[in-house]
Amino acid sequence: MELSVVGNGEFVTGFRLAGIRKIHEVSDENLESAVKEVIKDPEVGILVMHDDDFNKLPQNLRNKLNESVEPTVVTLGGTGQSSNLREKIKQSVGVDLWK
Amino acid sequence: MAVEDVKPTRSELLEIKKKIKLSEDGHKLLKKKRDGLILEFFDILNQAKDVRSELDDAYKDANNKIGIAKSVEGTITVNSTAFSLKDYPKIHLQSNNIMGVVVPKIESSSVRKPINQRGYGILGTSSYIDEATDAYETLVENIIQAAEMETTMKRLLAEIEKTKRRVNALEFKVIPELKEARDFIKLRLDEMEREGTFRLKKIKKS
Repeated sequence: MELSVVGNGEFVTGFRLAGIRKIHEVSDENLESAVKEVIKDPEVGILVMHDDDFNKLPQNLRNKLNESVEPTVVTLGGTGQSSNLREKIKQSVGVDLWK
Repeated sequence: MAVEDVKPTRSELLEIKKKIKLSEDGHKLLKKKRDGLILEFFDILNQAKDVRSELDDAYKDANNKIGIAKSVEGTITVNSTAFSLKDYPKIHLQSNNIMGVVVPKIESSSVRKPINQRGYGILGTSSYIDEATDAYETLVENIIQAAEMETTMKRLLAEIEKTKRRVNALEFKVIPELKEARDFIKLRLDEMEREGTFRLKKIKKS
């Protein structure tokens, strides 16, 4: 399995240097379709996105990605990821443990 | 289990007593499972916070380094160097078991590559590109660790929520209803016994 990166040119260039092949350089218009394509790919184990791009996706797709285990979504560049997990922790355990 | 649907017989009373015992034993076990899962979760949470913090630092560092490489070498040189890379990072998923929850263990290969095996000529490129590449390789390693941690956490949280619901369902619905049915049957059986005794007395008198 491989990693995949979806984002604008500036975000994805560095990951090309690390050797990642499945790079989707997209603008805001194509973001949603690119993400849906990556989710369907069985070879992708981890999807990397910028936090701002993740927040541009529709709510139902964001919920699906938050629940998704294959591929796992890792967002960079903001506090979005930790706040999603934080909400899940508060909901499941009942206490905010992420402080 | 509505009380009206319960047949007030001794066999039914025995059945319900067995069900109450089973439900109470199951309730105790599920509570232990829930508590064990939460303890495991605490452990993973502390590790995940550290991993997330390292990931954020690695991203900032990688961003800085590629910014420097682009300003010194130019975006085109950096992009063309990126396209010349041969090997790509691969990940292998294995399963681990934490308190009955299947969680992934991610192993990676070809993330870190020696400088002479990356695919671009080391004499033709500057050290800024090498540093940016190093920084992104470190970032990818951290991403893989974070993905493993966060997936494990999501699975544990889902199982904790499921177990919590079962514990609450047993404690507040199933066991009270069974006990209500048991009390109803006992009441009816006692009434029937009293009626029988009274009938016998009447018959003896007459």
